[in-house]
Amino acid sequence: MKVVTGVVGNDIHVVANRLIELSLHARGYEVFNLGVNTYLEEFFDAAVETGADVLMISSLNGEAEGWSREVKLLKSKYKHLDDLIMMIGGNLVVGSGNSEDIIPKYKNYGFDIVCHQVDLNTGLDLLETFINERDTKESTK
Amino acid sequence: MSLLQEEREIILSNEYVDNFDFAEVSEFVKNASKDLFISHHFNKKNKMLVQPRGGFPTYKKQFALNEFFVQANVDVLPLTIDSNTRLNDYATAKKMLRLSEENDVDMLNGYPLVNHGYRTTRKMITHFNKPVSLRHGTPDARLLIETAIASGIFEIEGGPITYLLPYSKNFPLDKAFLYWKYVERVCANYSKLNEPINRESFGPLTATLVPPAITIVIQLLEMLLSLEEGVKSFSVSFAQQGSMNQDIVTGAVIKKLAKYYAQQINCGDAAIHLVYHQWMGAFPTNKDYAEQLINMSTVIASMVGADKIITKTREEASGIPTKEANAKTVANTQYTLGILNGLPNVVDEEEEEMLTLQVKAIMEAVFNDPADTLWRKVFNSIKSGVIDVPFSPHIINHNNMITIRDAKKNIRIIKRGNVPIPDRCYAYEKAQCDLTKDTTSIVTDIIHDIGIMQ
Repeated sequence: MKVVTGVVGNDIHVVANRLIELSLHARGYEVFNLGVNTYLEEFFDAAVETGADVLMISSLNGEAEGWSREVKLLKSKYKHLDDLIMMIGGNLVVGSGNSEDIIPKYKNYGFDIVCHQVDLNTGLDLLETFINERDTKESTK
Repeated sequence: MSLLQEEREIILSNEYVDNFDFAEVSEFVKNASKDLFISHHFNKKNKMLVQPRGGFPTYKKQFALNEFFVQANVDVLPLTIDSNTRLNDYATAKKMLRLSEENDVDMLNGYPLVNHGYRTTRKMITHFNKPVSLRHGTPDARLLIETAIASGIFEIEGGPITYLLPYSKNFPLDKAFLYWKYVERVCANYSKLNEPINRESFGPLTATLVPPAITIVIQLLEMLLSLEEGVKSFSVSFAQQGSMNQDIVTGAVIKKLAKYYAQQINCGDAAIHLVYHQWMGAFPTNKDYAEQLINMSTVIASMVGADKIITKTREEASGIPTKEANAKTVANTQYTLGILNGLPNVVDEEEEEMLTLQVKAIMEAVFNDPADTLWRKVFNSIKSGVIDVPFSPHIINHNNMITIRDAKKNIRIIKRGNVPIPDRCYAYEKAQCDLTKDTTSIVTDIIHDIGIMQ
């Protein structure tokens, strides 16, 4: 399974980004890490280029909130991205907020899995569950 | 006219520079007070010099900060530059400076030196008559250091590797080498007029589990790149790593090898100094604990035998410190240094040997690169992963080296990537760690190892 990952916007916090890459490798994914300071277009370009199954965006300084509003519009300009699993995690607001408000908002922005201040391994478990459930649905169709 | 002078005239004809008077600046450096030169203070070798960090946008606030530092018995004043200037965006810096002056709110995270200009800044520097250290993070610092030296700032921090790999994702590294070559040459030329201008490398790098072998190699290479252009006074540096023993070993090895490699290129006459940074990683939010950590750093700096210590503040975890908190650290650090007497002499021969072997092996690999000049050899070595800095955001960096802490909190290499760590040393490093764990628990350990002081 192929995953494109990176930190969105002008955020340069690199530590978690490296650890996400390490952990994804350990779970057997093929990882394309775009690193910090990555713009939305670059994420979608990379997803097309690599034929990724998952797009995993992270944010530490909270600027994801601003960028995410453009996700749906931008994604609609690309063909063949309908099956792409969209995941986002990190600190998803500038300042503080609670997950009950944040998760529906980001789902509305076009994300399938939303992790606000969730432990890395818990987040990756959520991804695995999501993939398994989707595969089960596909096979029962 | 030399090529360098031609380039200088282009750089200094920048629209943000008010008529740079080359002859007047040379005359100023020639007759400047010896007290402004940190190289002069290093030669006197009275005590470990204490230098805080700090920069405010307006002249008035910077002046007030310096007054606080002087009252706290500071040895070296800092001048930290704002991030717009670091990226050569003088237009934004100018706008934000004006807003800061008009509204009494700081709109910049440092002093926009180019916008203030050398005529203004020189008044402040000569008023305090203390050595000033330029702290920035600029890949293209040509205009900045011209302005700094003309202002009376005779210590310039940075380098093409240490100011790029920790701070930038895609600024071209080869350009950085060439821009810094200009800086070295200008520093070398001014050094002939009076006491030498001191250059200092930025050893902390990403401050995140960087193993001492990588830190030392990069310090030595930036030193050589500087000395080969004619710089006569240079400081290598590193930051507190988390294990006192590893810091002492690092200090011993870097001192020995700096002298050794300087002699290898016939620059044995240059003065080499050692700078120690108090803990550069994530700080505790509890301000009293932060003070304890700072105090412990000072003790270790003394054990290491540093010539200068660069301080943090109790407000590190919460943002840019107030001038009061900043000056308090200076006074506290001076107090600790004053009462630290009768320090034991600690030598760990086995660790020193292992570290020396690693550094020499990497240096040899760099020198063996077929390129014709040292900067190209270094550039190729970073590109090929012979030099690999953990947690660098730069696209050229390989990120294939993995490090964790052993039980004594020493940083150990458990995956060497393309870095030519000799087999014997690699086996030794790994033997100190518990490698039976799966990657998931190792990632958990790394998270813990990064936040060790919190």
